[in-house]
Amino acid sequence: MIAEARNPIIRWEWVVDEWDQIRAAITEHLTLTVLAMLLGIVVSAVLAAVALRFRWTMTPITATTSLIYTLPSVALFALLAPVFGNLALTTAVIPLAGYTLLILVTNTVAGFQAVPKSVRDAADGMGLTPTRRVLSVELPLAMPYIMTGVRIATVSTVGLVTVAAIIGQGGLGRLIFNGLSRAFWTPMTVGAGLSIILALTLDAILLGIAALVTPWTRRKAAT
Amino acid sequence: MRALIPTAVEQQAVPRDIGLFEWLFDADTWTGPTGILTSLWDTVVMCTAVTIVATLVAVPAAAVMAHLRKGEVSTTWAVSISRAIPTFAIAALLIPWSLRRGWGFEPWPIFIALLLLALVPIYLTTYNAIRQVPQESIDAARALGYRESAVPGAVEFALAASVILTGVRVAAIQVVATEPIRAFLGGDGLGRYVRDGFGQNNNTLVLGGIILIGGLAALTGLAFVLLERLALPNGVRRLGRQQGENT
Repeated sequence: MIAEARNPIIRWEWVVDEWDQIRAAITEHLTLTVLAMLLGIVVSAVLAAVALRFRWTMTPITATTSLIYTLPSVALFALLAPVFGNLALTTAVIPLAGYTLLILVTNTVAGFQAVPKSVRDAADGMGLTPTRRVLSVELPLAMPYIMTGVRIATVSTVGLVTVAAIIGQGGLGRLIFNGLSRAFWTPMTVGAGLSIILALTLDAILLGIAALVTPWTRRKAAT
Repeated sequence: MRALIPTAVEQQAVPRDIGLFEWLFDADTWTGPTGILTSLWDTVVMCTAVTIVATLVAVPAAAVMAHLRKGEVSTTWAVSISRAIPTFAIAALLIPWSLRRGWGFEPWPIFIALLLLALVPIYLTTYNAIRQVPQESIDAARALGYRESAVPGAVEFALAASVILTGVRVAAIQVVATEPIRAFLGGDGLGRYVRDGFGQNNNTLVLGGIILIGGLAALTGLAFVLLERLALPNGVRRLGRQQGENT
């Protein structure tokens, strides 16, 4: 235990001295988040496509992704630790991606379902092949919903990455654990504070990207 | 990862070659200060307290806001943060504050963090459920001579009760699923077996912990199904299902 006088909520010299460690933690946090999101987006795109093409699969897909979503995070990280080893990236990325599926699939399906039938008919009438119709008409129109899903999933993933620290990963979460185990508050505050800042920053960036890929939504109020 | 903070009672070292069922069905596993019964009680008390407080705060607040047709903006804002409450970071940030007040590692930091997690789904579901109560029903109640002061409780709340209970269930399951991080923040509860399993490098203990946590989450869901059957009249439940299909 460090003397109380030398243990304020944050000690800036430590932040300066240990900057390399902090930067490495941020990089790891970002890597885990991005990998999990990419995996989540790919898997959810497939699941959403299946759910939209074969309507009867909607219920089992929603049920399964909801079930994954309610699995305790501590338990899911712990479960894969013996399979892939404590320090393997896969051990953290698979559960993190799993948690994004419910939000991503729900939003993607909702986005495609919100495309008016008249628009689809118009696209068909203009002679677009089904593939072209999906890619150049339906996908852009579903984009606002999809991007909302991506934003929520990203922010929640950033928060969950900290929990991956229990299996020795977790970027900024490791700083939190470090500080906790020594009852030294600076790393804890830095880790927790930065993870929240990181989440808000990524949210803002994704909001910008969403505005870029759907320029028409700026004219009328965005949904 | 080792146990972080000296906990009140250290887990007895469990033999590493013990089988999962051997561990689960051993009487010593269940009794004593590190036993499953004590841990289960710890977890259940925390989760129940969080869910009850969150319900008592969020349901009236959302009911009033929805009745007044206000707070549409706050709802949209809440949607985007509802899935994103970083429980672990919030609890960690609250620990120094709690220690300075002499309240210790437990239970306030984790309680507050879990409370924030639970508030959002309950508030959102309640708000939307009450907004979806058909205007005709409210007008009918007025025509039947209900006082204006009785509309929020006797009509809006009563008709929305089933959907509100769904929100509480979602929140409760999320709380149960998140509570185990408490074991990594200086507390105990069911998460302790996962933590101690890591500490002792014992996969059986980890797996046992996972089964217990997952089992409790599943039981929580079932408990709410039962509660809904017992607490709500058939008509309200049917209405809730219809509303659920519309959303």
